[in-house]
Amino acid sequence: MLRIFFAILTGLFGAALLHLIIILSLPHFTGKDAATRVEAEGDLNNFTLLGGQYDEAGLANGDPFVRTAVCSFDVEDAPVHFTAKGNVPFWSIAIYDSASNEVFSMNDRTSVGGALDLLAGGPIQLTDLRKNLPPELQQAILVEMARPDGYAVLRTLAPQASFDEAARNFLTEAGCEQFTAR
Amino acid sequence: MFRFPLFILVTLIVAFGGGIMISLYALDATQGFGAIKLGAWEAFPALQTVDADPYAKSHRARAGKLLYGSAEGLTFTASVDDDGARLNAGCRYRISGQTPPARLWTLFTADNGGNPAAVKTGHPSALNSWTVLRQPDSSFSIEISAAAQPGNWLALPEAGTFRLVLTLFDTPTAGSSGVIDLAMPKLTKTGCGNA
Repeated sequence: MLRIFFAILTGLFGAALLHLIIILSLPHFTGKDAATRVEAEGDLNNFTLLGGQYDEAGLANGDPFVRTAVCSFDVEDAPVHFTAKGNVPFWSIAIYDSASNEVFSMNDRTSVGGALDLLAGGPIQLTDLRKNLPPELQQAILVEMARPDGYAVLRTLAPQASFDEAARNFLTEAGCEQFTAR
Repeated sequence: MFRFPLFILVTLIVAFGGGIMISLYALDATQGFGAIKLGAWEAFPALQTVDADPYAKSHRARAGKLLYGSAEGLTFTASVDDDGARLNAGCRYRISGQTPPARLWTLFTADNGGNPAAVKTGHPSALNSWTVLRQPDSSFSIEISAAAQPGNWLALPEAGTFRLVLTLFDTPTAGSSGVIDLAMPKLTKTGCGNA
């Protein structure tokens, strides 16, 4: 009888250990995390609009008034330049790394002149750029990526149905392109 | 002589079965530590950051939602009313008061997964700070029930439990540690069934 008790006790210790291992390692292999889903949306360096219903990659706007576009990018070869402008009541962008941790986020109040002009790059790329800043980047916000791959989420709001078209235009015209100095 | 393998079997079943069950339970039950609770409303300001605890990181990796960055907004979820009773579509509720300072906010009825709930077509399931009708002192009162109400009304799904999701956009709440002093709107039950 005592031995079955010890067997269960050992099992409980094992369960606690396994629980820790599962919790700590799960983020690395779920295959369902936000970064993987954004990557499955489509091509690199291209903003994809999300709909109200979950798409094949498993992403949706979530909030009935929010319009979202996502872009998966990689700054290994060149920095990525995010641009957008339009007449919307609110916009915000968040840059995440491949582990879905927030790297940077901002909204239209913190932008220059209400337009999105943001450049994400690796530390060495940004140091090179800062030494001789190209004129088209004079007003850009430079964001340093510790790891080369990540994704960006650009959101805007359509508080009333009449804002839908402006929101759609804002998101479809948004750019997420590799930056090459001219 | 077959008792020893039996003990090993018991140990393994308890270890693997128990370990997997409590992990799944823990991930479904909570979004991790670091919640701020204001009345019935609950938010996780650090969920999307690198500082999130291991439970929060596991939860978000499994849910795969696009979270709001700290400069974007903060989402508050209520699954109970102010008295702690689970929100049920068979009852009527009232949200009254003010939100913490934010440029815009949205409020919608959600299913238990936090996605917009399916209500009858044509019924309003969402409101925002531009469309809500306000009192002279800029506070508001929103009726939440299955049957239509005058003033601000949010429709409910047919039956079952639901959640309310209030998102504050461009709010100092997300970055401030003084969030505990902020007042969220009250969420009270006004009746159930036909009573």
